[in-house]
Amino acid sequence: MQALSTKNSLKLDAQTSPVALAQQGDDVQWAVVNNMQIAATFSTPDVEQARKKVLGVTDVSCFHRYGFKGPKAAQWAVDHELAIPSNPNAWTLSDKKSLVLRLGGSEFVVEDQPGGDACQKLASVTARSAGVYKVPRADAAFILSGSAVLNLFSELCSLDLRPSSVLVSDVIMTQVAGISAIVLRQTIAGEPVYRIWCDGTYGAYMWKTLIKIAVELGGGAVGLASYQH
Amino acid sequence: MNLRTTKQNGEWINRTKRINFSFEGETFTAYEGDTISSALWAAGQKVLGRSFKYHRARGVLSLANHDVNILVTDGVDTNMRADVVLVKEGMVLNAVNTIGGVKKDKNSYIDSISPLLPVGFYYKAFHTPRRLFPFWEKVIRKAAGLGIVNFDYPRILKRKLHTHCDVLIIGAGPTGLTAACIVAEAGLEVTIVDENQQAGGSLGYNRGGSLAMARQLTELLDKVAGYSNINLVTGAYAAGYYPDHLIPIVANDGITKVRAKTVIVASGAFEQPPVFRYNDLPGVMLGSAAQRLIYRYGVKPFNNGVVVTANDYGYRVALDLIDAGTKVLAVVDLRTVASPFSVEVAKRGVKIYPGHCVYEALASSDKSSVRGAIICAYDEQKNVAITSKKITIECDGIAMSAGWAPAGALLYQAGTSMQFDYGVQQFVPSRIPDGIFAAGKVNGIYELEQRINDGTRAANAALRYLGLSAPDNALQKHMGTSPSHAYPMVPHDKGKNFVDFDEDIQIKDFVNAAKEGFDNIELMKRFTTVGMGPSQGKHSNMNAIRILAKIRDLPVEKIGTTTSRPFFHPTPIGHLGGRGFHSHRLTALHQWHAEHGAVFTDIGAWKRAAYYPANGQSKEDAIQAEAMAVRNTVGIIDGSSFGKIEVHGADAAEFLERFFTGVYATQKVGSCRYVMLLDESGVIVDDGIASRLADDLFYLSIGTSNAAAVYREMQRSQQMWQLDLGLVNVTGALGAINIAGPAAREILATLTDLDLSYESFPMSSVRESKVAGVEARLIRVAFVSDVGYEMHIPMAQLPEVWQALLDAGKKHGIRPFGSDTQRLLRLEMGHAMPGVDTDGLTNPFEIGAEWALKMNKPYFIGQRSLQILEKKPLRKRLVAFVLAENFKGEMPMDCNLVLEGREILGRITSIAYSKFIDRSIGLAFVTPGKTAIGSQFQIRTDSGISVTATVVKTPFLKK
Repeated sequence: MQALSTKNSLKLDAQTSPVALAQQGDDVQWAVVNNMQIAATFSTPDVEQARKKVLGVTDVSCFHRYGFKGPKAAQWAVDHELAIPSNPNAWTLSDKKSLVLRLGGSEFVVEDQPGGDACQKLASVTARSAGVYKVPRADAAFILSGSAVLNLFSELCSLDLRPSSVLVSDVIMTQVAGISAIVLRQTIAGEPVYRIWCDGTYGAYMWKTLIKIAVELGGGAVGLASYQH
Repeated sequence: MNLRTTKQNGEWINRTKRINFSFEGETFTAYEGDTISSALWAAGQKVLGRSFKYHRARGVLSLANHDVNILVTDGVDTNMRADVVLVKEGMVLNAVNTIGGVKKDKNSYIDSISPLLPVGFYYKAFHTPRRLFPFWEKVIRKAAGLGIVNFDYPRILKRKLHTHCDVLIIGAGPTGLTAACIVAEAGLEVTIVDENQQAGGSLGYNRGGSLAMARQLTELLDKVAGYSNINLVTGAYAAGYYPDHLIPIVANDGITKVRAKTVIVASGAFEQPPVFRYNDLPGVMLGSAAQRLIYRYGVKPFNNGVVVTANDYGYRVALDLIDAGTKVLAVVDLRTVASPFSVEVAKRGVKIYPGHCVYEALASSDKSSVRGAIICAYDEQKNVAITSKKITIECDGIAMSAGWAPAGALLYQAGTSMQFDYGVQQFVPSRIPDGIFAAGKVNGIYELEQRINDGTRAANAALRYLGLSAPDNALQKHMGTSPSHAYPMVPHDKGKNFVDFDEDIQIKDFVNAAKEGFDNIELMKRFTTVGMGPSQGKHSNMNAIRILAKIRDLPVEKIGTTTSRPFFHPTPIGHLGGRGFHSHRLTALHQWHAEHGAVFTDIGAWKRAAYYPANGQSKEDAIQAEAMAVRNTVGIIDGSSFGKIEVHGADAAEFLERFFTGVYATQKVGSCRYVMLLDESGVIVDDGIASRLADDLFYLSIGTSNAAAVYREMQRSQQMWQLDLGLVNVTGALGAINIAGPAAREILATLTDLDLSYESFPMSSVRESKVAGVEARLIRVAFVSDVGYEMHIPMAQLPEVWQALLDAGKKHGIRPFGSDTQRLLRLEMGHAMPGVDTDGLTNPFEIGAEWALKMNKPYFIGQRSLQILEKKPLRKRLVAFVLAENFKGEMPMDCNLVLEGREILGRITSIAYSKFIDRSIGLAFVTPGKTAIGSQFQIRTDSGISVTATVVKTPFLKK
């Protein structure tokens, strides 16, 4: 990820992270990533690094995403040179820079990590294909880092998300804070983190909930800039 | 009077730290670790509370979280259980349920008129004369309930957490601790939970005058501490059993829902009081309570005491009392058999009365304490005292040990079958669901060594259940005499022999209930209220069952038990509420709405802008102004909360044919049709629009509130029908804007290349194009106005399009309108809304929606019910109505009744004043006889005034 160019106010009529409404404050610096306004920093790098170690919550809704489903979705993905998990409810990396989540057996979500372009390639395929249906994505997406992440999940999710119970490749479709969400474990720059996706219209609620608990546990908001390396 | 003993081995108090607090205005000193009750008792305070009904003086009974007559308040919290709540520095405490304090409670006179107030008296009294009932109701309501709710109670976060473990063990007594070690040794994760502040159970206090058990406990706890995979949780209770081994654990700071792979219930048993006259006096307490006072808090229960028992346990209590410095004057044993402990007890100078009972405890003059006990021989066959020879023993306390009842609530809730074991005189599990194991006293095993063996057996069984190899130990039956007496009740002519201390229920109350016909245990419970107090029958249900069995001359197992439901123990509402998650959805325009003064309303999961009042403008004026803008020029509304679902695939039309009431197979691409969803009984669930975007693609827009439920039902139907299609819920991915009003077309035309002429883009059609450079689906609808366009666009780009429309419509005075205004506008159009103008019983015939039904289709959901319903006469029908011109009276409201005399003809479903029409208009259900145009009916307003309404045609708007 490139260094982010930031500003301290939002443009109301431009594309904005679905989480942004819940993030505004004096200290937030905004950046435009993938044509979406996103919170780049919430505090100084030292403070954010400290939060990350305990419980950092980062909004990454700006990552490109592409969804599709249908009985022929898996074959369609392979035809378009996308690496897909062989098992349902699992994820893999395609071309090292795009997460490919298999939801159940026949639905897929692709998310480009910084530098990835799988979503744009798939989006450029305009021809409709029988048995494959595009699923527009407008997710709120988060990275959760730090030693207290499981304490947070303990309050928000009834499933056992401990590493001893969840495979690295598992995709978990569950309820987090009472709403439908996708959860998985990922390693970013050598750091084990958890990821959450939910419907973007719940984004502000989810952010507020995550941050409230994170702060109680000694963590807090971390801007996207802290992951730029 | 100071009843504090010398330091006890393993005591829970810290004698180096003193605490000062007040109770009922008097200052007391305690030690850190004391409960409120133990501190007061140590200081010689005998009257700790008053009973619920008769306001009798009460003291320590169990000291085990069940002393519900000893509820105190600190001014913030109410109904704190003094027997277990730790005393803190500076506490200012008062007993609840008194007038004038515990010692001089003005309501104590009620005890003297108790013969006038038997159980159930209020069911029969106060009904006549009827005019006096409100007075009596007030009196009864004041008398009922305990404590005063503090409406200023601070909001204290009580987290609700989820955790997981391999084995959850309930009860950290010797049985549970032993089981925990065995399971932990196998490498599994164990959580063991106990409601007491410290682990050990009876091993910590049932010493029988020996330190051996204390040493055994220390060794066991050391062993447990050596396992890092044992999570020992004390001061928390397992509150219930839910499927798949989900058990909520309640602690002071919140609830933890534990999901375990297997559960061992080693929850022990509750000691049960024998029933004799004045068994409730302060100073009469359970033997285990006396032991807890001694060994946990270093408090001598009384100075000169009597032990009344019906098992060997009472002899151990006697030995502990002697060690604590109490002079035990007698052990009174209902049984005639000799106890193995009787020799040892006798050696300590205690006289033993086998085959005797305490006929009556003697009260001090103010009934605040014990001054003696009357002992009589006991006829165990007839269960009566032989009063020909009474022995009076002067004493200041009586310890009672007559038996036990299993703490089996969770086993019952899990579906365990129980049987009555006459060897131990208690219900024991006979068939336990898979993955649950019972051990120890709850399993009918009482001797310590046997309990440890039973814990081992249960742990090994749990290991085998989890697929590990472990020995298959056989269940050992209890050896020795029964720990419980079959009928520890002593009738007395003067009564006041209490069975249920929560509700002051005596033996005679059960007899009377049975005479009244309430001779089934569930009925008896409800008539007498036994077990319905805060302790939930933990000390009374078993005796109640025994009494009923005797009354009906049936074996106990034929009486059965009452139903055990979660939560097992009263749990504060704050715990149940937890953090209080209130999930809600926001559109991408939410901030814009907020910054432009919108007042929000909750619709389904969404926060929607309801209206936008100008400074100082009323809600009504704001809505009328917004509606006038739509009628006269143009308005826009954020409709992003509408449900939006795509149906892809070759069978998409076939799916809609089955799912909705109309015809879709012949629907042309580019056109829209109305959809109505029914349930199988023919009741209207929702409606909306189906836009055909391609032969194999329909785009559905449906109501906000039901969107998630409709999508789930679509998925469920597809699971059954297995058609060639895919469902995609795009509710959150796409936003929607509706521009409506005479200028709508002109404004929209500036932002799109689409031909908006009425010929090219007629009503009820759909087009895909760009608006303000953004890909959009445009739908011609007439929900709020004859000229209206819905634009469905990616949610993230909603603000761009919204702003472009506002800019383009500036010269027309475009303004936003909210969902409340939308309701008025659609009412003016005469459209009924499911969920507003229908309810959970309304079928399409009743709203005049026959036009939406294609009854001769092969199938649609609800069709069969409609075929039956259409043959029946209508019972109600939705009609449009107006109030009189220039109506100025009290405006009727939604749900006001339509009446004819005292007969209810129907109700208002929607009503509003329309400034544009200058008339109050509405929709109402009326009987079929009132549906003719021009018919009039009466609406009764909230204040009872009748308002005349006239049936009219829709739409209300003049074309």
